[in-house]
Amino acid sequence: MAASFAVLFLGLAAGLIAAVLWIVNDTQTSSLVRANDADIATVDNGFRDEGIDEAVEVTKQRLGSSDSVRALSRGAYILLEDRAHGKRFGNLEGFAPRLGLFDLTSTGSHILGRGVLLAPEVYLFVGRDTAEITAARVRIVKAFGWVIAGSMLFAGIGGTLLRVQLMRRVDAITRTCEGIIAGRFNERILIRSRGDELERLSVAINEMLNRISALLDNLRQVSSDVAHDLRTPLTRLRNRLEEARGGSVTTVDYAAAVARAIDDTDQVLAMFSALLRISQIEAGTRVATFTQLSLSKLLENVVDMYRPVAEDHRHVLSASIQPEVGIRGDAELLTQLFSNLIENAIHHTPMHTTIHVALQSSEDAIVASVSDDGPGIPADEHSKVLRRFYRLSRDRSTSGHGLGLALVAAIANLHQATLRLADAKPGLCVSTNFC
Amino acid sequence: MTILLVEDDVELARSLIDRFQDNDYAVLHVGDGEAGLKEARRNEFDVIVLDRMLPGLSGLDVVKVLRHEARMTPVIYLTTMGGIDDRVQGLEAGGDDYLVKPFAFVELLARVRVMTRRSANHAPRLFAGSIELDLVHRTAARAGKPIELLPQEFRLLEYLMRHANRAVTRKMLLENVWEIHFDPHTSVVESHISRLRARLNQGFAVDAIQTVRGIGYKLLAPN
Repeated sequence: MAASFAVLFLGLAAGLIAAVLWIVNDTQTSSLVRANDADIATVDNGFRDEGIDEAVEVTKQRLGSSDSVRALSRGAYILLEDRAHGKRFGNLEGFAPRLGLFDLTSTGSHILGRGVLLAPEVYLFVGRDTAEITAARVRIVKAFGWVIAGSMLFAGIGGTLLRVQLMRRVDAITRTCEGIIAGRFNERILIRSRGDELERLSVAINEMLNRISALLDNLRQVSSDVAHDLRTPLTRLRNRLEEARGGSVTTVDYAAAVARAIDDTDQVLAMFSALLRISQIEAGTRVATFTQLSLSKLLENVVDMYRPVAEDHRHVLSASIQPEVGIRGDAELLTQLFSNLIENAIHHTPMHTTIHVALQSSEDAIVASVSDDGPGIPADEHSKVLRRFYRLSRDRSTSGHGLGLALVAAIANLHQATLRLADAKPGLCVSTNFC
Repeated sequence: MTILLVEDDVELARSLIDRFQDNDYAVLHVGDGEAGLKEARRNEFDVIVLDRMLPGLSGLDVVKVLRHEARMTPVIYLTTMGGIDDRVQGLEAGGDDYLVKPFAFVELLARVRVMTRRSANHAPRLFAGSIELDLVHRTAARAGKPIELLPQEFRLLEYLMRHANRAVTRKMLLENVWEIHFDPHTSVVESHISRLRARLNQGFAVDAIQTVRGIGYKLLAPN
């Protein structure tokens, strides 16, 4: 890139020089020719007035002294000759008449001049030395040459300095990234508040690294959670089967042990299914299958489904659902979302708790909430309960795998809805805010 | 009753064959899609039980070809592909039911039984024993006596009546009456069954619904 720029610069400079040279040349040449022509006119006037002798006088005057052959400071070269006598006057050797504008070399000088016939036998030539013009040309080229050389040198030095500085900064960034690739996840690029583009890039890269770090932490956390929470039922299963092998006496005992083992296995499988479902939902593949649906009808269905269940658990399930509220979403996933919330309320609250399902639509938002007047969840655990496998300490002994709310959160996320846990004073209110 | 079993897992196939035979089903087993297609074209089976993931021609493709050739033998998929979209895909290809592995054999058996007696009954009224259902007016009666039912109870009774005298599992009820394919951790089915029972049996000595231990429920319709 730099090379092509240099070539372009040189090309332009050459063009500039050529233009200047041409202009100067043209100007000086024109002025030289005009001076010649003025002299010719004067001599011509003298000739017309008084004849050739007058012409000679004028010529002498023009040359500024007697008829000595020498070049004047004005550099004028004149030749006046006639057919009868040859050269009559001038500081040039006689030559065969030649008409018009032409170059002549004489005694080492380059002369540009014009030849005219004052009369059929009288020839006049006036010319001037072009040495000055040539000298001017050389001076211009030299001057330009120095300037160009100088500027290219400065450009070269400046460019190299800039590049070195840039490379140093880019190297620093590259080294940091290589360190991170090698596993030192906490390294970050040093920011020096220079405010330029390279720094903005560095800031962006640091942000990206923070995000990756957070994701990795999350992944580690999930993996260890999963490992722990799946080990527990699997260990229990194994123990039961070992007991059955060692301790069972009758076929009935075996049958009972096997039945319990199947239950344990089912529990593990249910956990796997839920985890898979959460992953699938988080991967977002379902968004393409969203349809326009009536959230009101969906919630009414869910409420009708759970009313008998709630009653059997000695809970009261009530609802205030605004009709004809529509949203875009996945019917099955949304049904699962609200089922999970209601089931949570049924399982984690004591008898005689009231569970209320509400749907309200306003200008800015559609809010669906499930609230109960049970023991609620402490405010400091509100964000934690949405994590996979998280269980409140008071619920640790009850059955369940702690994935219900994680699934709810994943489904809400997929629908771009915000989930909010609030203290219902008393109790818990979980609201899903569809915008 | 004949079943065509297309399953490449030999151990699973052996276990299924034994258990189906215990239940008086004749089973023809093949291990890949091409053979399955060949057999399905050659003979009429009551049900085809097929794995989605097969070497060579996939289960999905087998079903698509059969349907294209206007063979409407009922098909149940057995599959590890339990994704939300996988089921939809399977049913859209022309399958009738979808069971995710691992499954309880009784679940498969119940579904096979229900399928082999499938009749496209679009009649406006359903009869089973002394119970009568008007699908247009959404009313129910037992021995002529009208019975008040909530919408979901009505749908539950309808499904039981369509499969009268056959055991239906909890999962089948959840899928067909409530159209949910996840496992609720509560007694949704039990609670609704108990409500339905209470209303159906009021004033009658005989329980119209029988609980079949280990499997599910059955509507009794003595002929």
